[in-house]
Amino acid sequence: MFKLIVFIIFSAWAVISSLGVVLFSNPVYVILWLLSALISIAGIFFVAGAELVGALQLIIYAVAIAVFYIFVLTAVPWEKALKKDSHYRVEGVIAFPFIILLYIEMFIVFTLGVMASPKKQLKLFIERIGNAEVVGSILFSKYFIAFEIVSLVLLMGMIGAVLIGRKESQTYDGDTS
Amino acid sequence: MTAIPLEAFLTVSGLIFGIGMFGLIVRRNLITILMSLELCLNAVNIAFVGADAHLGLVEGQIFALFIIALAAVEAAVGLGIIIAIFRYRKVESSDEVRDMRG
Repeated sequence: MFKLIVFIIFSAWAVISSLGVVLFSNPVYVILWLLSALISIAGIFFVAGAELVGALQLIIYAVAIAVFYIFVLTAVPWEKALKKDSHYRVEGVIAFPFIILLYIEMFIVFTLGVMASPKKQLKLFIERIGNAEVVGSILFSKYFIAFEIVSLVLLMGMIGAVLIGRKESQTYDGDTS
Repeated sequence: MTAIPLEAFLTVSGLIFGIGMFGLIVRRNLITILMSLELCLNAVNIAFVGADAHLGLVEGQIFALFIIALAAVEAAVGLGIIIAIFRYRKVESSDEVRDMRG
């Protein structure tokens, strides 16, 4: 019962923060709402019993990615964006029925999926030696190739971001030397 | 101690995913579009972890970790593209980016 109350508090916080992300016009406020949403989602992970994912959510998302967004926002002059309208209003009105349709479809699929029979094969194992140990051992045994591929993708993303974001090679037009 | 029903996780996940999808459509600024995309990825993470807590498995948490790592890559590359667009075209709104050759 206590867990359910905490879960409801965190999920209401997350939904309100997501509405703030979508509706506010100033990008700095949007980043603050996004940070609030990420922290509340980490709280949902903790309630669900996934301590490792929650801690990594706090470390990677709420610290690294949010700070990264703030750095980029200081590089782009967003004062120009405040003068214009920050939303597409006509497109929003047009897209709203399709979002409702998406909700209905997701609801049907989810309620069909919940009826799938749960397997509790790892439950006792998790209760005996703890969740983070089980995640670590399965991550480094069964999904080891996928883990290495993800690290390779991180390396490629770093190289690609540096290549895309660097200055274009200098033109020596005004150079008299 | 009662377990949280799976429907609760899936409802929260669907709500946040829909809000993020709506933000992808209606936002004008490119950086806020990427932030709405982060909301969508987090909603998928909630669904994975909730199904995990329901089924008693740990595979969902592993895939949630993969999604977090790939979201970091996506943020790095996407923000690099936005900075490149701004440097060449001096625009940051998504309706001003009309042609691909810079």
